Amino acid sequence: MMYQTTQAQEALRSKVREFAETEVKPLAFTLDQRNEFPREAVRKMGTLGLMGIPFEKKYGGAGLDVLSYAIAVEELARVDGGAGVILSAHTSLGTWPIYAYGTEEQKKKYLPDLLTGRKIGAFGLTEPNAGSDAGGTETTAEDMGDYYLLNGNKIFITNGGEADTYVVFAVTTPDIGVKGISVFIVEKGWEGFAFGDHYDKMGIRSSATCELLFNNVKVPKENLLGQLGKGFNIAMATLDGGRIGIAAQALGIAQGAFEAAVEYSKERVQFGRPICQQQSIAFKIADMATKLRAARLLVYSAADLKEAHAPYGMESAMAKQYASDIALEVTNDALQIFGGTGYLKGMEVERMYRDAKITTIYEGTNEIQRVVIASHVLGKLAKADDAPGRVKHGPETGVRKKQILTDGTAQERVDALVAALKKDGYDFTVGIPMDTPIAQAERVVSAGKGIGPKENMKLIENLARAAGAAIGSSRPVAETLQYLPLDRYVGMSGQKFRGNLYIACGISGAGQHLKGIKEASTIVAINLDPNAKIFKNCDYGIVGDVKDILPLLTAALDTGEKQAAPPMVKMKRAVAKKVTQPRKLYICNGCGYEYDLLQGDPESDVRPGTAFYELPEGWMCPHCGESADQFLAIDI
Amino acid sequence: MHNIRNITDDLYWVGANDHRLALFENIHPLYHGVSYNAYLLLDEQTVLFDTADWSVGRQFLDNVTFALDGRTLDYLIINHVEPDHAASIQEILLRWPDVKVLTSPKAVILLHQFGFSLGKHAEEVHEGESRCFGKHTIAFVSAPMVHWPEAMVSFDTTDGVLFSADAFGSFRSLDGKLFADEFAFDREWLDDARRYYTNIVGKYGPQVQALLKKAGGLDIKVICPLHGPVWREDIGYILDKYVHWSTYEPEEKGVMIVYASMYGNTEAAAEVLAAKLAERGVTNTRLYDVSSTHVSYLISELFKYSHLVLASVTYNLGIFPPMHNFLMDMKALNLQNRTCAIVENGSWAPRSGALMREILESLKHIDLLDEGMTLTSALREEHLSEMDALADAVAASVLKK
Repeated sequence: MMYQTTQAQEALRSKVREFAETEVKPLAFTLDQRNEFPREAVRKMGTLGLMGIPFEKKYGGAGLDVLSYAIAVEELARVDGGAGVILSAHTSLGTWPIYAYGTEEQKKKYLPDLLTGRKIGAFGLTEPNAGSDAGGTETTAEDMGDYYLLNGNKIFITNGGEADTYVVFAVTTPDIGVKGISVFIVEKGWEGFAFGDHYDKMGIRSSATCELLFNNVKVPKENLLGQLGKGFNIAMATLDGGRIGIAAQALGIAQGAFEAAVEYSKERVQFGRPICQQQSIAFKIADMATKLRAARLLVYSAADLKEAHAPYGMESAMAKQYASDIALEVTNDALQIFGGTGYLKGMEVERMYRDAKITTIYEGTNEIQRVVIASHVLGKLAKADDAPGRVKHGPETGVRKKQILTDGTAQERVDALVAALKKDGYDFTVGIPMDTPIAQAERVVSAGKGIGPKENMKLIENLARAAGAAIGSSRPVAETLQYLPLDRYVGMSGQKFRGNLYIACGISGAGQHLKGIKEASTIVAINLDPNAKIFKNCDYGIVGDVKDILPLLTAALDTGEKQAAPPMVKMKRAVAKKVTQPRKLYICNGCGYEYDLLQGDPESDVRPGTAFYELPEGWMCPHCGESADQFLAIDI
Repeated sequence: MHNIRNITDDLYWVGANDHRLALFENIHPLYHGVSYNAYLLLDEQTVLFDTADWSVGRQFLDNVTFALDGRTLDYLIINHVEPDHAASIQEILLRWPDVKVLTSPKAVILLHQFGFSLGKHAEEVHEGESRCFGKHTIAFVSAPMVHWPEAMVSFDTTDGVLFSADAFGSFRSLDGKLFADEFAFDREWLDDARRYYTNIVGKYGPQVQALLKKAGGLDIKVICPLHGPVWREDIGYILDKYVHWSTYEPEEKGVMIVYASMYGNTEAAAEVLAAKLAERGVTNTRLYDVSSTHVSYLISELFKYSHLVLASVTYNLGIFPPMHNFLMDMKALNLQNRTCAIVENGSWAPRSGALMREILESLKHIDLLDEGMTLTSALREEHLSEMDALADAVAASVLKK
């Protein structure tokens, strides 16, 4: 193990520091204030060769070691935490998996641009229901023969929107947990691939973070990265390396805050002398310096191990966990040394204090780092018993038909909708008063923000009259726009709709709204945005402008004066179709017992998801004791 | 008095018929009896293939003794140890004390469990081995789980006779005839053959497939099963049936409607559905009352038809017990590849539909139609549109392609 950096590594540090001090530091305050991505600076990082430090020269990399890369991240983070993570996410997460698992064709196609910074990389693993627990991944990539069809969304994606290539994780074989996850290289600009709004983050505001939305994105077969079903392994290996980047970022942020505090402590005079001469401050500085050195040695040694291709998973977890924990302590102490001054916007320490917090959270929370470290120390013993059964998250509103009417003109789509509703048994010659309380209404026509200016509420009223329905709205329409009284907004926090027909007009489908309509028998969605969540939660949908669709629908449903509706009969809802997952079953020739990997063999502690060939040595039929070679494989 | 039939020059049927057995395996009703087939080969050495149930032991022993015509019995080949075939072994050992019993290693263990003392008589034979008895050479082919794990079939390589154990067997006694071509098999026997296969071996389709694959490499001229007629003509006919049954592919497009009705209301709904199907041109339908039809018949019919409609009352918040029994039997027998629809009835808390759905979904490759219906006590005017939608969906599914 080495305890000192080499001359070459220090030369790189000087180069990056000079760049950071001159090109990034002057912008840092503005970037933070404006939530702005430093495109120009990132472009210059490419020119300087910083975007491909630990990769071979033949692909356009700098051919330097992992430690040099860590130093570069550290130096950028020293002046701006956001700049640090741009480099770290690009290098460790967006580029490394392609370098490590890509075919020669994939490497030749993507690496030259990524390593020279002409393009930026990103990584999409985290989802609303999957983060630390990758097994909860819900984004799917369905094999359509010629291509994979990608659907789902990824949240909290660093470099999201700015990056050109995305390493995306998706389920290719459902129901078998992490073994069913595969990885794909997805390019910005492909049809159906969109970005959500940029998050308004607490810190690292110069980095871009947003949601990735995949709606029937066709991913060519050749963009499968690594083997099918090996996504989880690739994710874990990538994150092992990514931790070095985050550890270096945390180290850099802490270093920057430390230096600023030391400087300030020498200048700030109280009781007739610089405060650094107060023991309470001096000791703080001593502790900060010690923690920084300990963290630096952890980070550098993990980088060194990775470079030597020695096992480094535990060491990189230790480095990430420790460096980020002490980054919070050091930035906190630094701000304390600044006193009231440090609490003001525009002060570096104020920004660094905020920037530091993310480092204990992302790329594996520090709780997960401890899980990793503990499992390295304790082996299998560190694992608790099986987690309670995974709850499948379907759409918030339960099983829906999701028939989005796309064929023909607006008139034809409206006619198809009305025909489908009539076939389901809706009788539009009867109706309820428009002011029926939502909770008692059999039908509701509801307006969302997509309805536009207040005069468009007339369209809603007309449709409600024609459909024999009451009027409702989303929360913002009642609360912010105040088009309707508060007791008419539908949602978890408002009125719950339990009737039959819910027609959502210009409603995007916020989670709390959807929870309020999950009992509806039929949900109809009309919205301009084809990616609106409401379309994943509806029985019938029409993509289109409410201004065009609502009058057509009103005319189609209008039967003149409505008869009073009879007492409500709850209509039937769509039910989930069970789909058989194609797989092999293994049948015992001694008794007919079937081994199914979806079940595993609880009697022998074989977990669900264990393939037949992975069964432990000496496993035998739980019913009759026949050995594994006496099993007959069948396809189902 | 002996009663035997000649199959080839030196091969004899020495089995017996049983008309008095009411329940096969003490579960499946028999109305036309059953035969226990055993075969005797008179080569340079004498070879008996399997024995018979003890209930017909006397007839069987008379037959063997007569056919041997004073010769001793040299070998007994046991293809299958289930007591309806093996019960008379001990008597054979007593009468011909020098006989050698050739059987599979697992069969030896099972025979000991059943209390037979084979002792020095037993000789284990394995897959791929063969024995020559003079003119005839018999090859042994293992057939695990073609009903039981120890099962094997024996093939006479000299003249192409397959001793197929329970495979290709059937309920119904032979009553003097022996060969399938001596019956109007399709009319008189097929239903019993199907009921036998589906209820006895139905669960083990993949193993039957494996055996058929092995048999595909043999030049089979005669099939001698342990129950029912011997096949010497049109073997392709029965093989085709076995391919359908063992792959769980329906034989015919048609709808089986099985109802569970306490007071006739669910029954009436089932009748209405059948009528509506007929109006839509679907006439290959069968209607069964689950309470009064033995489940072995229901299973057998279900292996035949492509579509199944289950209509059941809710009983103690569950499925009507005989219907539940039918569903459990479907699952036990591995039934697959059917299109199903559900009609539930319930007067205050209809539950049977959801519960039947759950069981059907646990079977393999079941296509459950979205259209189904809930009756509250009895079919009324207001249900008719739903009933029409159900009939439309079932008819469309039957008539497609």
